[in-house]
Amino acid sequence: MDGATELSATLGQMRPVLMNLARLQLRNEALAEDAVSETMLAALEQADTFRGGSKIRTWVVGILKHKVVDQLRRHKREISIDERLDADDGMELDDLFKNDGTRLVPAQDWGSPEELLSQKEFFETLQSCIDQLPANLGRVFLMREWLEYETHEICKELNITTTNCHVMLFRARLRLRECVEHKWLGTKVRA
Amino acid sequence: MIPCRRAHELSSEALDRQLSLSERLRLRLHLGMCVSCTRVDRQMDFMRQALRRLGDG
Repeated sequence: MDGATELSATLGQMRPVLMNLARLQLRNEALAEDAVSETMLAALEQADTFRGGSKIRTWVVGILKHKVVDQLRRHKREISIDERLDADDGMELDDLFKNDGTRLVPAQDWGSPEELLSQKEFFETLQSCIDQLPANLGRVFLMREWLEYETHEICKELNITTTNCHVMLFRARLRLRECVEHKWLGTKVRA
Repeated sequence: MIPCRRAHELSSEALDRQLSLSERLRLRLHLGMCVSCTRVDRQMDFMRQALRRLGDG
């Protein structure tokens, strides 16, 4: 199989993964489709710039990140943040703490980070928990942690205050942590 | 001493901005005495590592 055939085959196999990632960030089917199509096209057109060094999947996901950023810029208005939507989000998080701010249930040990990172099922759990975040929190969180925007860039792109940005990231991380702990440790106990 | 909730907030904000000296000290003092918040602090950092590898596998 020559290089071009192999790349086409890999891209075909990766398409569902790429769609999931784009959907998580953009929360819009049409925009996700566009980002993924642009990614696959760019990968095919720039195949000669791929140098074996990094894994092909890493290279393609790198292109996808750029294409998703392009979509975010191009469609600012459609995917703008409605800060009010998250105003009543506090309730659930407050359930984690007593009135004096101490935790009701202690955080559990997740075991070895290296081991978690080597397990496909862990990443599936993580993705499904990100998917369950309220749309605004998910979007801000992924911009920060997946697309690696600086906090001030997120504020500027989405036109939200720095304080609000920090609060949203905190809520997203906390919700995600609780969800991962519940689902992952829950699975392990049953297994 | 700051409560767990505040410790969680500071663990999160430490990933997004430089904490002040007094914030860092308060967080460290709390983590020194609280196993649960120490786990949360490491797990937030770990989730960042995991997120950066999303889709690479």
